[in-house]
Amino acid sequence: MAEIRLNNVCKRWGKVSGVDNFDLHIKDEEFLVLLGPSGCGKSTTMRMIAGLEDVSSGEIWLGDRMVNKLEPKDRDVSMVFQSYGLYPNMTVYENIRFPIKVRKVPKELHHEQVMKAAEMVDLVDFLHRKPAELSGGQRQRVALGRAIVRKPTVFLMDEPLSNLDAKLRVSTRAEIKNLQFRLKTTTIYVTHDQIEAMTLADRVVVMNLGRIQQIATPTEIYDNPANTFVAGFIGNPAMNLIKGTIESGVFSAENIRIEGLPSQHSGPITLGFRAEDAELKEVQNAINAPVYAMELLGDSSMIALMVGGELINIKAPKDFRAEIGSQVSIGINPSHCHLFDAESGDRLSQDI
Amino acid sequence: MTHKTFFAFIFPSLLAMILFIALPIGSIVVQSLHVEHPRVLVEVENCGPFGCERETRVDTAATQALQEAQPMGQFNGLGTYFDRRHLATEEVSRIFSDNEGVADIARQMYNLPFYKALSFTLVYTFIVTPLGMALGFSIALAVNSIPRFLKGPIIFFSLLPMIVTPLVGSLILFWMINTQGVIGSNLQLLFDDPDLSLRASPLLTWVTLIVYGVWSMAPFSFVVFYAGLQTVPSDTLESAKIDGASRWERIRYVVIPHLIPLATFVALVQLMDNFRVFEPIVGFSAEANATSLSWNIFNDLRGQVDQQYSSAAATSVLTVFGVVVLLMPVLVRLWRDFNRKA
Amino acid sequence: MEQTTVNRRPLLLSTTSSLFLVLWLIVAAFPFLWTVWGSFKVEADFFSRENWQLAITGLNTIGQTGSAFTGDGYQGAWIERDFWKAAWNTVIVTVSVTAISLVLGTLGGYALARSARRYTLWILITALVFRAMPHITLVSGYMLPFFEWNVWGALPTAIIVLVAINQPFALWMLHSFFLSIPKDLDESAMVDGCTRFQAFRQVVIPVMWPGVITTGLFSFLLAYNDFAVTAMLLNQDNQTMVPKIASFLGTVQTEGAVMYAVAAVVSATVPLFMLVMFFQRQIVSGLTAGAVKG
Repeated sequence: MAEIRLNNVCKRWGKVSGVDNFDLHIKDEEFLVLLGPSGCGKSTTMRMIAGLEDVSSGEIWLGDRMVNKLEPKDRDVSMVFQSYGLYPNMTVYENIRFPIKVRKVPKELHHEQVMKAAEMVDLVDFLHRKPAELSGGQRQRVALGRAIVRKPTVFLMDEPLSNLDAKLRVSTRAEIKNLQFRLKTTTIYVTHDQIEAMTLADRVVVMNLGRIQQIATPTEIYDNPANTFVAGFIGNPAMNLIKGTIESGVFSAENIRIEGLPSQHSGPITLGFRAEDAELKEVQNAINAPVYAMELLGDSSMIALMVGGELINIKAPKDFRAEIGSQVSIGINPSHCHLFDAESGDRLSQDI
Repeated sequence: MTHKTFFAFIFPSLLAMILFIALPIGSIVVQSLHVEHPRVLVEVENCGPFGCERETRVDTAATQALQEAQPMGQFNGLGTYFDRRHLATEEVSRIFSDNEGVADIARQMYNLPFYKALSFTLVYTFIVTPLGMALGFSIALAVNSIPRFLKGPIIFFSLLPMIVTPLVGSLILFWMINTQGVIGSNLQLLFDDPDLSLRASPLLTWVTLIVYGVWSMAPFSFVVFYAGLQTVPSDTLESAKIDGASRWERIRYVVIPHLIPLATFVALVQLMDNFRVFEPIVGFSAEANATSLSWNIFNDLRGQVDQQYSSAAATSVLTVFGVVVLLMPVLVRLWRDFNRKA
Repeated sequence: MEQTTVNRRPLLLSTTSSLFLVLWLIVAAFPFLWTVWGSFKVEADFFSRENWQLAITGLNTIGQTGSAFTGDGYQGAWIERDFWKAAWNTVIVTVSVTAISLVLGTLGGYALARSARRYTLWILITALVFRAMPHITLVSGYMLPFFEWNVWGALPTAIIVLVAINQPFALWMLHSFFLSIPKDLDESAMVDGCTRFQAFRQVVIPVMWPGVITTGLFSFLLAYNDFAVTAMLLNQDNQTMVPKIASFLGTVQTEGAVMYAVAAVVSATVPLFMLVMFFQRQIVSGLTAGAVKG
């Protein structure tokens, strides 16, 4: 049980930078998710915390210990790997017992601890099996069981659900959330799946190209993305981003014109809004464009339009129908719009 | 992995290689620059009843002392490299200035031990390697299309020529092609020539050794190519069928391109192995008609009375040089691959 | 193979290919069978001046020993000429070389597979060059120092030299086997509380057995088949089988005891036969592992 601090942590391989100036304070008992596309440095960050990668510069503190120079075994962490890293020659029981065995926990305590962990991950019936005889979901639970058999300072989970099928992913996600709530152990969870991030996290760290893009709660990240990268990465479909110009509160680009926006900005700008924030109605100051494609999703219909040279998505009621090529008009409430700097992509203040 | 753990793990292996591979290579370079001490001769006066006469004798004690003081022998520079037993620069220039045409040059050069060995080594390497690979590939194609239950035994027997000790394998063949052996005597019957012997002429000896080489090298190509054939993507084969490719065209345009990387690997390994051809020459007692670089070294070292260390060392250095030249394309490619990745 | 219309091969092609295979099998196997058969005959039959068919009928063998088969060659080689001693030396040399090679090779191969630094490439390239060195060139580098240090001729000397010569190959092969074991395994062991060495010993090695066995087989073959090193570095008493056979060649021919050499050759081949029989799969996988990764 401890808080974790990463002070300006960097990782470089020669001239290539993997993680750049990572600065973060993780509170005790927090569930923190590192989210980003592959190659963004999220796994490297976690591996540096685990001690599997050297830190090029900066400091990592687990509780009151600076762990930069410590071996993984001395850091008191436990980790669930993407491919689980189960020991194929050992049974489930031996796999779960391994961490306490090599850490020289008194023998008489082993059985009790293993059984307790196995119960928590619902594996009591499979203890005598080898990993090769288990299903994907069961293997995943063995990895979890091995992580919780002792009480580490921190749980590290590196994309633990990515090898499961969609249905199992949903239920295991809930199990992980529940486990963390009961064990109250600080947890760092790496994923590229934004739904996992949104459902699990107390706070999300969005990363790209080795840099932190935004650190906030899931709602905050969804509602107020810090830049175009976060806006375009979070949400399904992602936020519509249109390049255009703004002049005295009026945004315009090909097929679009929105009035009533904050007036302190002028010149080129990127405007963003979410698919569900648009309304289908005949209004003057909005989108007027031909339908590019229609997708029927069941609970709603998704309209794709070509606006400002970009393909954007609009969510319409489920009974909405339109032919490809027919003209539609879409209204957007200016208060639902987000403004981003055209150059840097950073969010611009929305105060009117 | 930190530098410290890395070197802790690799240290024993590295130490063994440095002590017993790197140092000996250094040692042959140094040795090749030295030459054995000449015997220390003393002139003694031998007086007998019929007067005195002067006599030259080997001073064993002094020779021994000199030997112990400088075990390497005396420094000779590159002298050993250019002497008659190695590069033979003098003889070569003489042959080129005074000869009766190309055939004569070849004949005279062949009388120089180094060139005799070099010519056989190169011919052996560059004939056995492609022939062995071609034979191996054919066997792989044939085995690939037979019923499964036959494959095991066929692979078993096919492995034997490769796995058998080279000296033993060559002896087994040698006894058969001997004039008194089963193949030798049948060849005599076949050609109706009671004096026919495969060991009689250089050409026949060379052919025999090359046949042995192909026999012992083909299995390796066979196994690798056979494994490669199992991984030919069936989708590509099937689309080739639908596109109308004939059996031969499928081999030519799908199978062979798939096996090219394997073929480079096999070629590399076989070139290295064939270049050190040695045991068959001992097994076939073929040294009169064919020698190899390795055999020359062996022969220098084997001398019971005085081993020709310097001569062996010089041939060794020249051989190492040849190996590096052979490996050059591979090394360059490895280097380029790595730089591209970095 | 199922003979569907799609896969059926033209008759001519399949006949040629079968004939070719039969021919190859004869070429590959006949010399061994013939020599094994012949080793139970007397010299006048196996190396007959008059008629090669005597080797099959064994007329002289019957004439000289009273039976169509004789073990005289074996008795002569093994007992009279002390071939048993050479065989015992071979056991010592091959077992030691294999064991030591594997210990050094697994440690080094593991380090090479798990470190991504530039010097690993240099070590691998150097190993490749070393692997290509003709053994006899190295031997010529040992002779003088070994005489000086007075270690020439002893079994341990030959063992250590063979281990070293085998290292480049063992490193390459084990390195590629270790690469096929997911890194996650040792990393989870280290997070679970192991040192690097404990992770190697308790978690990686137990799943490495196929690779270790295959590499062990090839190390064994190298030591068993070697002629250059053992012939030059061992004295008369310590000779292993292969140099012993070579030294037979010099003496037996003159004494009319060629059959001793034939019996010795067959004796030396039998263990290899068994090896291929029991470990065919591993040998094939070893040959191809190098190819796929190399």
